[in-house]
Amino acid sequence: MAHILSQNGFDARVVVGGFSAWQRAGYPIEPVPQEDVVLLPRFR
Amino acid sequence: MNELLILLSRYGYLIIFANLFLESVGLPIPAAPILVAAGAAAAFGSLKISTVLTIALTACVLGDFLLYLAGRYTGWAILGFLCRLSVSPETCILRSAESFYKRGRLTLVLSKFLPGINTMAPPMAGSMNMRLAEFLGLDLLAASLYISLFVGLGFFFSHLVSAIADGIASVRHVFYWSLLLGLVVYSIYRLRNYWKGRLYRYVARVSVRDLAAKLASREGAARALVADTRSHGYYDRGAMRIRGSVRLDPNAILEEMSRLPREKEIYLYCT
Repeated sequence: MAHILSQNGFDARVVVGGFSAWQRAGYPIEPVPQEDVVLLPRFR
Repeated sequence: MNELLILLSRYGYLIIFANLFLESVGLPIPAAPILVAAGAAAAFGSLKISTVLTIALTACVLGDFLLYLAGRYTGWAILGFLCRLSVSPETCILRSAESFYKRGRLTLVLSKFLPGINTMAPPMAGSMNMRLAEFLGLDLLAASLYISLFVGLGFFFSHLVSAIADGIASVRHVFYWSLLLGLVVYSIYRLRNYWKGRLYRYVARVSVRDLAAKLASREGAARALVADTRSHGYYDRGAMRIRGSVRLDPNAILEEMSRLPREKEIYLYCT
């Protein structure tokens, strides 16, 4: 994705280690908004 | 064929168990040929048909049960892993889930005969909270149909199996050359993907410490946009994200680009 964005003129960078590295380092996080949550259907 | 029968008479039950179990847990090792051979071996007296059926059923249901548990306790994760070869893993999961929810019970019963579905069905049943007793009952029925069909074919048509096996032995060299060709083609495909993928190694990177320092300052935070590129598969109830980040759908990047501010530095993160 970063490569595609860069090719289209955006200043894009990748966060090394992703969310897990951010969380391990203790930096601030927040709950994902409900409108972004997609749940699988359940039998019960 | 004689060599195969000797092999099966010595290690047949172990081979049957291993093959059925590995196929059940998702490895691309088709069990149908071994089941047919085992049926033929039972017809020739090398194996006991009741033991073949019992061991095959046990291995199959055990493997499916493990995948069911994996789906039950990991949710999206195991499905994402199984869909990883799909062009759009997220679409693969969502469409499979919708289809399974509508026809779940019938899908489970027929899953053993449907390539791909046989591996997806048990973890899907677990992810979607199908009752264990119901799952085991349906899975046992599915495994019984599958195993009985192929063992039965081998048992009742053992004379044909022998002729086919002898025919295959006579053109063994064709089989080996085909296998070698397949390996060469696959290696070329992987090398090509590696060569194309090297472009992606040359993208700017930032450590979490540097990003945190940038976001801590007013000017840095104003110039930065932190984007979450994780697919829906990671958005279970209670999912968290970097504070202040926005979601960037990886499957709609071209559409999303039109909404992104060009004057900002965009920091992308995934899992």
